[in-house]
Amino acid sequence: MYGKKRVAIVGAGLTLFRRRLKETGKELAYEAAKMALDAAGLELRDIQSVVMGTAPDAFDGVHMKGEYLADGAGAYHKPYTRVFVGGGTGVFTPLAGWWHIASGQFDTCLVVCEEKMSSCYPHPQYAFTTIFDPILERPIGMNLIWIFALEMQRYMHKHNIKKEHIALVSVKNKGNALDHPCAQLAARITVDDVLNSEIMAWPVQRLDVSPTSDGGAALVLVSEDVAKEITDNPVWIDGVGWCIDSTHWTNRDLYYPDYVEYAARMAYKMAGIKNPPKEIDVAEPYDPFDYKELHHMEGLLLCKKGEAPKLTAEGVTQRDGDLPINPSGGLLGVGNPIAAAGLMKVCEIFWQLRGEAGKRQIPGDPRTGIAQAWGDLMQYGSVIVLRR
Amino acid sequence: MSIEKITNPFDARHWIGHMEADYMYTLGVVGERFFKELKENGRIMGTRCPNCSIVYVPPRMYCERCFAKLEEWIDVGKKGTIHTFTIATIEKDGKKLEKPVIYALIKFEGAHGGMIHKIGETDTVCIGMKVEAVLKSPEERKASINDIAYFRPTK
Repeated sequence: MYGKKRVAIVGAGLTLFRRRLKETGKELAYEAAKMALDAAGLELRDIQSVVMGTAPDAFDGVHMKGEYLADGAGAYHKPYTRVFVGGGTGVFTPLAGWWHIASGQFDTCLVVCEEKMSSCYPHPQYAFTTIFDPILERPIGMNLIWIFALEMQRYMHKHNIKKEHIALVSVKNKGNALDHPCAQLAARITVDDVLNSEIMAWPVQRLDVSPTSDGGAALVLVSEDVAKEITDNPVWIDGVGWCIDSTHWTNRDLYYPDYVEYAARMAYKMAGIKNPPKEIDVAEPYDPFDYKELHHMEGLLLCKKGEAPKLTAEGVTQRDGDLPINPSGGLLGVGNPIAAAGLMKVCEIFWQLRGEAGKRQIPGDPRTGIAQAWGDLMQYGSVIVLRR
Repeated sequence: MSIEKITNPFDARHWIGHMEADYMYTLGVVGERFFKELKENGRIMGTRCPNCSIVYVPPRMYCERCFAKLEEWIDVGKKGTIHTFTIATIEKDGKKLEKPVIYALIKFEGAHGGMIHKIGETDTVCIGMKVEAVLKSPEERKASINDIAYFRPTK
């Protein structure tokens, strides 16, 4: 066994995702945390440690966002840590929660993620302009959309992929989100809608991209001993992995996310997974752009390099397909409050494995699922393996 | 929890605030030499790792793979190849650009690294296109990455 104690998820909470919510960041954190505690049948006094995940301070507009959000996350008079690995934060936060308990130090840990991007006005895109190297890149006027456009172009070129095949991901995910009660951008759209949407930075068009959002998500993690006392259906964290690639993204090829593969291999080794497409029943790879779902399916070793568009076209990744991908609706459909969006994916796998995903429930008897997030300058991968 | 959709952000009771902070970034030990070479001698330099045989462009003080301190400087020339590109049509505030701008990741010949920059003097672009850096005149150069005006297709 990895760690001193096996770790289970026993409750999940998720707020609405919207372009702009009335709630403050603290209030969003509270709503999600309270829901997760209620779902687990626990009180705040049962919680021994708290891990908060939230992305750049510039979104909420408070430097030292970790301490600002602490009370909303339930951290009063408790061991508390804020973690941040860019867009990878949402899946990394439960990994940090895992080691709180696996280390043997705690029996319970509340994991909370929050993002209130709408505070950055008129558009959070302004905050993204300062994530680049101040000397080599920012003077050129870097914009976040461009670097994804560069990566998407490279991916398409390498495998000779057409835009209409990538657009299928957006169609699927926005459609899946119609069944998600928290979704911001659920819609029935067509491939033509994507191909006719506004061009932002070729090949990226408006409907290739997830929105900016406000939202919160939370999980309750407990040790095996506590899990056995309070629930009949715990979901186990059986694999954790994370990895960072070179910050000098201009030194990389960009067509394939090696760092996601390394993170996945670490998590699969721990979970004893030898044949990912056969042994994994459902996956929530990070999809802030439609091509990223495909890129990440390949990085997660769910298919061969360049094969993900074909599987998508064949319907394999639909909810009723052989390998359902993003049954939640993903970031493209549910929304993308950065850290909360990543944790939303872990919540979805938790609900899918417990058979609690409602209209989104995939058929069969899913026992093993994974969630993955991706961030920093196209360089960070975080992977979690859950089992019933 | 609020469920109404707010389309006008000013409809929610709010407070307008600013996070004011200006910065002065040092170029660093290696950056100073790189930009001095670019400004005064019109050269694009890289540093080479003797252990990994990697030439870093822009140069680095250390090799991130083996942690060796890099002392060997190499003039990598001004020619490179477009590794990938984008054609930007809107600004970061969502406004349409008057004229689309091509940005590309350019990999230098004989070097491991590359650089993101504008592509000029052409309306067409493709992966694999050979390009060269066009420098501003010596009087205009300020020891900045914009001392390279843009890259253009090699003739």
